Amino acid sequence: MSPVKVKITYCAECGYEPQTLELAKALMYEFAHDLASIELIPWEGGTFDVRVGDTLVHSMRRDGGFPESKTVIAAVRSALAAA
Amino acid sequence: MSITKERFESGLSYQAYKEAMTRNRERVEANEKRVVLDPETVRALRSLPQPLNVVVLAEDWCGDVIANLPVLGRLSEEVGTLNVRIFYRDQNLDLMERWLNQGKFQSIPVFAFFDERLRELGHWIERPASVTELRARKRREVFAANPEFGNPDSPVDQLPEDVRTRLQAELQKMRDETTVFANAEVQRELRELVTALPVR
Repeated sequence: MSPVKVKITYCAECGYEPQTLELAKALMYEFAHDLASIELIPWEGGTFDVRVGDTLVHSMRRDGGFPESKTVIAAVRSALAAA
Repeated sequence: MSITKERFESGLSYQAYKEAMTRNRERVEANEKRVVLDPETVRALRSLPQPLNVVVLAEDWCGDVIANLPVLGRLSEEVGTLNVRIFYRDQNLDLMERWLNQGKFQSIPVFAFFDERLRELGHWIERPASVTELRARKRREVFAANPEFGNPDSPVDQLPEDVRTRLQAELQKMRDETTVFANAEVQRELRELVTALPVR
């Protein structure tokens, strides 16, 4: 079974910390130690990207806005099932 | 649109805002020191037929606030014709709704100018377009000069940590190097806006 990692890249100059923490918390509660890691990457330029494994499941630039937690949770569930 | 005197006076002065900052005050004060006041702008603001009241929407985490509020702060201290009151955006969303960027984005800072009777005359949002354009070009140049940074449009989380750290440093350096231009452009835009206002 391959480890599933999540990366959240957020704009640290845009006040996106609450959405970042909310998503990280949702993943922690939902998956506990089933996830290998949740990495938070402070960035800039209005970024809010979420990657599950190798798949970019949300990009503010590409998709607009913030992702629903349930969408990311579903992507993680699929990745865990395939791992 | 107008704002009541009580509401306007409930905003923070520039000094009070800085004292209340929970983070980034040192960056604001460092930017203050880097502002070179433009004589033409100072002259134009001093020549206003009446002082202006300025509502500012800000938050202390915002990069554009940290960059541009000090320009207004320095100008207001220098010219004596701008009465600045600062409001936290997220606690004053009714004000934010008045000045949405492109009608939809809650971009800050907002500098909204009012006459002595607190009737709105005009407003300025976020940063000059010329600054956005210059930094976008410089950013592309940073990527072009450093192939290890990859594609400027690609998510940065795929970069190795050490490369990402170097990229962050290069982008910060680029922002620092364009600060003088940015500060001058903010003053130019404010001067052009304010001198075109229907102030009597």
